[in-house]
Amino acid sequence: MDISVTTHSNGITELGVSGRLNMVTAARVRDAIQTAVDDNRGRVAVDLSGVVFLDSSGLGALIAGLKTAREAGGDVRLVRPTEQVELVLDLTNMGSVLKSFDSVESAYPHE
Amino acid sequence: MSDMVTRTVRLTAPPDTVDTVHDLLDALWPSVPDVSARDRMSLDTAIIELAANVIQHANRGKPITATLTVIAFPDRIEATLSDSGEVGEVDIEGRSMPAADELAESGRGIALMKALVDTVEHRRVDGFNHWTLVREREQVRQPDAPPRHLPSVSISGIIDEMARQRALEEMGILDSPPEDRFDRVTRLAKQLFGVGGAKINLIDGDRQWSKSTAGYGDEVVPRDKAVCAVTIEDDRTFVVQDLLADPLLADRGVPGEVEFYAGHPLQAPGGERIGALCVYDGKPRQFSEREKEMLRDLADWVQQELTASHELSRAAEVQQGLLPQSLISMPDWDIAGMCLPARAVGGDFYDWYPVGEGAAITLADTMGKGIGSAIIAATVRAVLRSAARFGDVAGAVDLAAASLNADLDTTGLFVTLLHGRLDMDSGEFTYVDAGHGLTVVARRDGAIERLRSHTPPLGVDLETEWQSHSVILNPGDVLVTASDGLLDLYDGTLDALDKIGALALLASTSAEVTDAVRARARGVAPDDVTVVVVRRDG
Repeated sequence: MDISVTTHSNGITELGVSGRLNMVTAARVRDAIQTAVDDNRGRVAVDLSGVVFLDSSGLGALIAGLKTAREAGGDVRLVRPTEQVELVLDLTNMGSVLKSFDSVESAYPHE
Repeated sequence: MSDMVTRTVRLTAPPDTVDTVHDLLDALWPSVPDVSARDRMSLDTAIIELAANVIQHANRGKPITATLTVIAFPDRIEATLSDSGEVGEVDIEGRSMPAADELAESGRGIALMKALVDTVEHRRVDGFNHWTLVREREQVRQPDAPPRHLPSVSISGIIDEMARQRALEEMGILDSPPEDRFDRVTRLAKQLFGVGGAKINLIDGDRQWSKSTAGYGDEVVPRDKAVCAVTIEDDRTFVVQDLLADPLLADRGVPGEVEFYAGHPLQAPGGERIGALCVYDGKPRQFSEREKEMLRDLADWVQQELTASHELSRAAEVQQGLLPQSLISMPDWDIAGMCLPARAVGGDFYDWYPVGEGAAITLADTMGKGIGSAIIAATVRAVLRSAARFGDVAGAVDLAAASLNADLDTTGLFVTLLHGRLDMDSGEFTYVDAGHGLTVVARRDGAIERLRSHTPPLGVDLETEWQSHSVILNPGDVLVTASDGLLDLYDGTLDALDKIGALALLASTSAEVTDAVRARARGVAPDDVTVVVVRRDG
């Protein structure tokens, strides 16, 4: 799994995650979101277009990140989840909390 | 008609193990026909969640073996994860999905798995957990229908298959070198039926492996291309006159090579069908009832050979178990022994055990090789052990010889042996050498002394008066005694003993000497090779 970090001029941190987001890699994603929250105001967009697999551990990392970000007044929004990721979000009812968007810009339109 | 794909993987500690299961799934799906992307995605996710839970809860830190079997039916896919973990503690009942707004970070795995498939079943059989997931195929599923109860239909077959695989592995025959006793049968079958080829095939997981081939044919064939994989589904002779004309079997035939097939299943000692003896030909042909009968007789023969080798390897384990396992605690003394039978079992043995302020040490060689000699060797060991409790060394051998004479006379065997007692304080070794004469004492200064034999072997002369002799082992001296199989590893003369004596002086431990002999003997020894090394440190 790879994580790329891009800080946009409007203060949004974009995390590009690719590969498997599972028990093995969950901690790294959690840490990456924590770092983004510490460095910025906690507005994080996670680009999931390269994630081939998300399991409940990976989902747990996104939820942990969401909690951290919200405590800092920010949010975690998902960008372009793959079909498998959508399936997991849907069946766990987490899609309503971890919202998905087509792009980083549409995830935070008013920034 | 269903298609079965099986993969086995060894799982250790999470979390890296989950990636192993991912890789397994990636490798497996291309072999399962007509799986829709949605079904594959759902089962992938459900199996990963299951595996993660199994690994976390079932193994308590120990590695476990897990086998994943995927069976594709026209209307459903059934995936079974069979693991060797301790009693399954994964609670699959009553796990509901945590509410989204609670933002719980864990506790969704099992609920997610249950939402992805129609049915989750757990069984525990013969020390294995079998977790079965059933998903109705997208092609027949009502859109947006909720999961429904769909009991698995394949699980009993999977449990049987696991028992079959275990029985096959226990026989220890897989990937063993060719053996004439099996090649003889395939050669005969090929000639007898006038066919292009004959094989003894074993069905091992995803592959068919040939123990013996007469004629043409690959040693390894994928299971789904092997006709014998169909033969083992039943206990009767399976004959296909024209494979290519049979729509269900055509893809297992090879034009011009395997168009005709006849096979009879082979059973493990427990009755599991582990493979088949088969004959095949490059063109279609008939196979009469009489020919079926002959093939069955040949298969019985192969089965007897398979069972015999299984029992023999058990006998070998038992015989090795009779050798002294633990070192006796004698300060300043270092004793090591090795016994390498030329066949599975042999007529040599060595033994030692504490007696008084020291130890009794025996090395014996029963005439002949193989099972008959092994039975006598075990008897000699037992009789000597009990006789050693009474009187001195000569008295013990006398008592043992008196008990054994009748048996040795009946079987026509005799036994050479060195039996002695070592006094650990004085270094005096008192011994009886009964026709053995293969013992040397290597002195610290490099001199090698051979211990002479004064009496004939046991079983030769009922009137023998057993006399003991003794030799003093000083610090730095080493006593080496061996069976005559050792001589064959060198030039066949007694000079070999001098060489071993010299080697023992150079070595820093007794085990170094026995290891060196074992390395030299492996695979080349025509006779049983046994060596005991006793060194006095200093």
